[in-house]
Amino acid sequence: MILLEYTRFEKAAIIGTRALQIALGAPVLIKIPKNVIDPLKIAMLEFEKNIIPITVKRGET
Amino acid sequence: MAKTTEKLKETVQKELEKMKIHIPESVVDKLVARIGRKKVSIKDLRNVLKEVAEKFAQHMIEPGEAVGIVTAQSIGEPGTQMTMRTFHYAGVAEMNVTLGLPRLIEIVDARKTPSTPMMEIHLLPKFRDDRKKVGKIASEIEITKIIDIAEVETDITNMQVIIKPDLKKIRKKEITMDNIKEKLLEKGYEIESNKSTISIKSEPSYRKLHALATEIKVMKIKGKDGVSRALIKKEPEGYVIYTEGSNFAKVLEIDGVDQTTTTTNNIYEIFEVLGIEAARNAIIDEASKTLQEQGLNVDIRHIMLVADLVTNKGTVESIGRHGVSGKKSSVLARAAFEITVNHLLNAGVVGEDEPLVGVTENIIVGQPISLGTGVVQLVYKPKR
Repeated sequence: MILLEYTRFEKAAIIGTRALQIALGAPVLIKIPKNVIDPLKIAMLEFEKNIIPITVKRGET
Repeated sequence: MAKTTEKLKETVQKELEKMKIHIPESVVDKLVARIGRKKVSIKDLRNVLKEVAEKFAQHMIEPGEAVGIVTAQSIGEPGTQMTMRTFHYAGVAEMNVTLGLPRLIEIVDARKTPSTPMMEIHLLPKFRDDRKKVGKIASEIEITKIIDIAEVETDITNMQVIIKPDLKKIRKKEITMDNIKEKLLEKGYEIESNKSTISIKSEPSYRKLHALATEIKVMKIKGKDGVSRALIKKEPEGYVIYTEGSNFAKVLEIDGVDQTTTTTNNIYEIFEVLGIEAARNAIIDEASKTLQEQGLNVDIRHIMLVADLVTNKGTVESIGRHGVSGKKSSVLARAAFEITVNHLLNAGVVGEDEPLVGVTENIIVGQPISLGTGVVQLVYKPKR
């Protein structure tokens, strides 16, 4: 049976990596409210919109 | 009735295929049993199946979850609460059973024989309601030595051992004088007998005479080796024989014993007679039973994980130095457990490889471990 959704670990890894990118100055991919400046929050918003250009490779190790 | 359940199962499986959801067969079986003869419309059935599938998905463990640690904690914590009281009279009158922590340790250590081996012998429907037949089977199982049914005397003047069977006891055990004689002859003793006694000549030496007497006293007349006592108890489904001591293979051969439900608490015996899968089930049953008896609720999946781990090499292994922990393939993992220096030295001499795939090794080396976020491999996904 193939799991179609991300596990919570995968979600954490994706958001974490993206947040690091944003914190290091990567351009943000969505319009965000002015008051949101936390890179982690931004990454989470991006994850919800499903536009983070990162996915997972499964089945090894 | 079996037909209706089969039909129901078929419709359930058909529906599942139509709805493109997957539920394991064991769950389907349970569901079918629950529905039983109740009339359920197709629409309701669909809703139920959907709900079941949802719940099942919710209860699945995500890949990457540290199940081993969770298991260790979930069994370890209740373990601290278990009383050290070893002996307890469980259910059956006057029978000693090891329970609680000592029993759990026994299971986990994969001892060849438990300290109180026990069997629960169920009988076929033809036999189980007839007290006499059950008694006969029980007498065939319980070991009977000569000393149990007769007086054994040493006659110094004639240098012989005299056996005087107690007629009452003999009749109760359904043994005849001829049985005893036969057994003695089988063993190669020279015997002389009259109506109520049997005498055996000894070599002319006091020591030999004495040795012969002790040998005769403990000679087995009837019963299965290892089974010291058999108790008959009435249960709702009929008479059941409980034994102290266990000889699983021999008992299963007896006519009238129900091989499908008879059990022993000796896991190694189950492994030898029925195989590794049965041993796995026995470990799960025994462990959850001992925990339950102490009033501790441990999720069965934790115990299943332990049972799987212990049996997955095809034999029942112990947890610890001689088993699971001591046979790990990684040097560092073994060294982290016990006798560090020896393991490292041997590995160095032999030139062992260390692929660094397990958890312990990676912690030692200081790398992310292959659990949780550590197993996730991220890849770049260009925009479409």
